[in-house]
Amino acid sequence: MDELELLKKDWKAREKDLPRLKASEIYPMLLKKSSSIVKWIFIISIIELALSTFLNIYLADDEFWAQVKNIHFKNVMIGIYIFSYLATGVFIFLFYKNYKNISTTDSASQLMKNILKTRRVVKYYILYVLVSSGITMILYFVFSIMYPPAGSGIDPEKLNWGWALLIAIGVTLLFLTLLWLFYLLVYGILLRKLKRNYKELKKLEL
Amino acid sequence: MKRLITDQSFVLKKELENTFVQLLEKNQNIVHKVCRIYTNDQDSHNDLFQEITIQLWKAYPKFRGDAKFSTWMYRVALNTAITLYRKQKRAPKTQDYESVHYKISASGYDDTIEQQLKVMYAAVKELNDIDKALVFLYLEDKNYREISETLGISEVNARVKMNRIKNKLKNILNP
Repeated sequence: MDELELLKKDWKAREKDLPRLKASEIYPMLLKKSSSIVKWIFIISIIELALSTFLNIYLADDEFWAQVKNIHFKNVMIGIYIFSYLATGVFIFLFYKNYKNISTTDSASQLMKNILKTRRVVKYYILYVLVSSGITMILYFVFSIMYPPAGSGIDPEKLNWGWALLIAIGVTLLFLTLLWLFYLLVYGILLRKLKRNYKELKKLEL
Repeated sequence: MKRLITDQSFVLKKELENTFVQLLEKNQNIVHKVCRIYTNDQDSHNDLFQEITIQLWKAYPKFRGDAKFSTWMYRVALNTAITLYRKQKRAPKTQDYESVHYKISASGYDDTIEQQLKVMYAAVKELNDIDKALVFLYLEDKNYREISETLGISEVNARVKMNRIKNKLKNILNP
């Protein structure tokens, strides 16, 4: 006899040993909060989107704009701001749309695909934030050397540009790498099991 | 007027809740069985049951009568176990005594059906989440079409995969 048939028979026989909940025990369960990974991914993503938007607004005070004007960077900065708000808007829209698509009534493979797709949008957003802040930081640095504020003691004529740029890029990269590592850690923990299962299903499609 | 609408939606919600709880109470075996195959101790079993109940309740407004409630439940319950549920870290004292017990028996020479079953249950517990889902649906008498639809793979792939699992189990039993 097929081993699995044997197991099937026993599996059915053991059905009578299953716990049996009363309706009155099920009602309170409906009020409990979910702890599913989708919920956590959603919460963390919202925090990420909100935090970077908040920082964008909070850091741009009058003093900042005065400084930007001083180094002839204002027009470029306004351009960057307009672009970044548009980009954030598009990302939020995409994220929300993908999140809405996540449904537990899909097939397991489709569900995993949708969750990973949602995550990917936020991943691209983080990447976009990192790259665009990197470019902005370096541009800001270049402009402030080209048009040094009075009393800064910088003379663009005598400056060793090679070294100055190298330091600027180095500091920017270090900052971005730290952020990236932190990000990997958070999602590594959250998505490990999902990725493993998804790979398992993917293997079947080959 | 606003009050009236709120009252009405409250009544509707209550009705929805009652029907749902009745359906779940009637079909709860499915959820218990998913919990049984995916968890090793009573605490985790209860945790997973709770999470599946929440997911079922969340998806219930979208449930249309065109599918059978039980078929729909298999899908949501398995999806929760495979994809959404993150096992809580627990103290070792709640470690599964069952599987430890199986492992000890497996090393003995007793060859009764009882022993074979114990070894097979232990082997199923060792499978990955996807294989477990396949075995589970198979044990539940689902055909390959249903298995392939629930997991989102082709019927051929489901068959191939199932044969591999069968061989694996056979090898464990007759080394």
